[in-house]
Amino acid sequence: MAYEAVIGIEIHVQLNAITKMFCDCPNRPGDDPNTNICPICLWLPGAVPQFSLEILEKATLACLSLNCEIQPRSAFDQKVYYYPDLPKGFQLSQHHMPLARGGWIEIMDEKGDPKKLRLHHVHMEEDVAKLVHETEGRTPISLVDFNRAGTPLIEIVTEPDMRSSHDAMEFLKVLRTQLRYTGCAECSLEQGTMRCDANISIRPEGSSRLNTKVEVKNMNSIQHVGNAIDYEIKRQTESLMKNDPIVLHTRLWDPEKHITTAMRAKFEGPCIPDPAVSHILIADAWLQEMATKLPEMPNQKVKRFIQQYNLMYDEAVQMSLEREVSEYFEAVVGLGASPRTAANWIVAQLLPAIKEHGYAFSGSPVTPRRLAGVITMLEKNEINSGSAKSVLARLFETDQAPEEIVEQFGFRQVSDVKALTLLVDQVISENASAVENYKNGNQKSIGFMVGQAMKLSKGKANPKFLQEILREKLG
Amino acid sequence: MQEKLFVYEDSSASPASDGRFLNEMSLAVQPNMSVSGWPTEAGSKALTGFTAIYDATVVERLKAAGAAIKGSVYMSEFGFGLAGDSAGAALSQDQVDCVLMTDTMGEARVAACLSGAFGFKPSYGMVSRFGLIGLVPSMECYGILAKNLADISKVMSVVAGNDPRDLSMPNFGDDVEPPDFNPMAKTTESIGTIGVVTDCLDSLPEDESRAFEGMISKLENNGLQIQKVRLKDFDLAPTVHNVIGAVEASSSAGKYDGVRYGHRAPEAKNWNEMYLNSRGESFGLLVKTYLFQGAYFQYENYDAIVDAARVRTRLIAETEAALEQCDMLMLPAWRGSPDPSGAATIDSVYDVFAMTVIANITGHPAVTLPGMVKCKNTDLGLQLTGPRFKDSQLLSMAARLTKLARKGI
Repeated sequence: MAYEAVIGIEIHVQLNAITKMFCDCPNRPGDDPNTNICPICLWLPGAVPQFSLEILEKATLACLSLNCEIQPRSAFDQKVYYYPDLPKGFQLSQHHMPLARGGWIEIMDEKGDPKKLRLHHVHMEEDVAKLVHETEGRTPISLVDFNRAGTPLIEIVTEPDMRSSHDAMEFLKVLRTQLRYTGCAECSLEQGTMRCDANISIRPEGSSRLNTKVEVKNMNSIQHVGNAIDYEIKRQTESLMKNDPIVLHTRLWDPEKHITTAMRAKFEGPCIPDPAVSHILIADAWLQEMATKLPEMPNQKVKRFIQQYNLMYDEAVQMSLEREVSEYFEAVVGLGASPRTAANWIVAQLLPAIKEHGYAFSGSPVTPRRLAGVITMLEKNEINSGSAKSVLARLFETDQAPEEIVEQFGFRQVSDVKALTLLVDQVISENASAVENYKNGNQKSIGFMVGQAMKLSKGKANPKFLQEILREKLG
Repeated sequence: MQEKLFVYEDSSASPASDGRFLNEMSLAVQPNMSVSGWPTEAGSKALTGFTAIYDATVVERLKAAGAAIKGSVYMSEFGFGLAGDSAGAALSQDQVDCVLMTDTMGEARVAACLSGAFGFKPSYGMVSRFGLIGLVPSMECYGILAKNLADISKVMSVVAGNDPRDLSMPNFGDDVEPPDFNPMAKTTESIGTIGVVTDCLDSLPEDESRAFEGMISKLENNGLQIQKVRLKDFDLAPTVHNVIGAVEASSSAGKYDGVRYGHRAPEAKNWNEMYLNSRGESFGLLVKTYLFQGAYFQYENYDAIVDAARVRTRLIAETEAALEQCDMLMLPAWRGSPDPSGAATIDSVYDVFAMTVIANITGHPAVTLPGMVKCKNTDLGLQLTGPRFKDSQLLSMAARLTKLARKGI
């Protein structure tokens, strides 16, 4: 019998708000331990929670970017359990009345066809503190860092619409792109600003039944999510073949051994309406204001880039993956570079160079104006593409304008026919055998001779012109 | 002083006389109301050694108005019930003019009756709860005990009103004047119509209900408008309070885990054991029972919570409907027969507060007047409830009623 996998995902995303959710402490969990704390997030007796409007705005924008329906009334619940990283004995989360319901995102399936994956809901919740386990002499001790306690999260819960690791990985990529576009979240699985649990079950192909699921945690990259799902599908299918029952439990992905191991029975504590944080009522006018703050989303941008700039589909996708790259691209085009050249230079030259120099994209010294300068000179045949690459490399080392670099280092392309003819004559006289080969029909020799002429010009000659003169002379 | 009334005394506190509003007034608080630098153990071993690091909003405002906060008095564990409480005694022994006392199910109002004083529970949301350490966030509030209503009004005019640190308060608006609590100014106005809650009379012993009805006829004979009103679900109030209160208490007390402050059991093999031992040693029998009840509803009987919340909504609607027919509701403060400080089970505690819990459930203001209804030398207290956020109006009508009574009805 053939089986198919049914996969749903729960994703925790850290919002990059300035403060924590219920107090004014900075939302910077990575600072020195226990420096960003106050009576509220430490839950000292007598503390009364506040609620941050900035966080509501960011959570709302995130939900709108995922096509969710914002609920006119939502409320916090207490998720009750006892653990030293939980200062209240409960976590404030939205269980009964989440901020948003529904929603969907579109991915490309294995065949390259569009597929809509539905979301069940999105809710807000606070993060817990961080436990650090050490030893004091021989005694194991646990330390608690409350910097993270009360920092803002949204949890996105999907419908079980995914059928393969491909679906899940594409889902996460698209989700990450869309959330990053809003500017509300960084979404890095590697850095823990996004955390993902996958719920996986198996059923006979064609069945509509939902079987007992297994929850898998601890995947620190999108690739890990894919690997863990593939492993779990294989493991569960084998269990079914052997008639071993699947029990509801939680498993951990082991990235070293590439296996999942059973952790514990899945625990669900009670969820009680919280009496301290007011219900959140959303007015239509406010929601409309939020909708106007939502930037153009990547899929809309792809369409527009194809129409407006005549980009190929792949180029448009590459220019839309990150919001800052898309804005950079449009800035370069706005400064006079032709769109396709700009797109190709950003992908093939700029992004690798930025990575090599260890910059974040936004911190790179190659501003849109400087790159546009390089591309414009290239397109006007003032420099050739080899020189353009050299100029780009120097942009990382000096703060000179590209035009100054071209002058200072003599990159200006020689397009003067007289000067080029002299070079060609020299190459013809020095490379008799190549000339002979060309005349015998070997087209490759012309490339060799152009190369020789370029060398003589110290890379400054216009190679197109060189070739034309050569062909004319050798007729 | 025969017995020790104060957990902590501030010997430097003396009433100021620099023209501020609360000059000449001395107050006591309970050790669950945060006063910066004071031991704040809330009557519980769970908070052993805990010192407040800031002033509660109420305390901050009292200090700013020039009041002398003389100390904190003994209290029941987290203000639940009256066992071990010395708020009333501090007042009757003339130690202070006013005591702030947590009112979770009617403690301040019943304690007032026991000591011949006036007791007031403000509307929920009228006074900031920032800095109040309690158990039942949606029902508890600062209560006030005083020898006269004028002092209660003076304190209210200082402590009531907007506080951005307490989200459970309605926004009274930036341009709203501090509530006007000056009951004596309007004593010539009509008292209005008084609604007698018949459902509560049915539950009184015969002699007590006779005493109460006697008082009502005296009022009628003096020309007051009296009308009978129904609160259909009145008898369910203690159960509703018990379910919601226990659930909220179980969550609220979750923070007493010995990790950050308070009592931590000295020896434990792991943190699970640390939790069990610390919490096991921290709470008294009554509170522990209450927390168990709450955990039971949370884990095993969520439907009971939903039912209680639904009846709570009905009780609010019934109270509001009754207050459309009259200006205030009248009922006894307590039944007189139960022993307030000896109540050792949850049921017997609720028995003491059978007449008062409803105001905590619905959030309405309520005030008790002493010396109006006596039965076999016990003061049953006269309790008045008014519309929510009309606290000053209620105190004003209560003052007029008191004046009338003193003229000899």
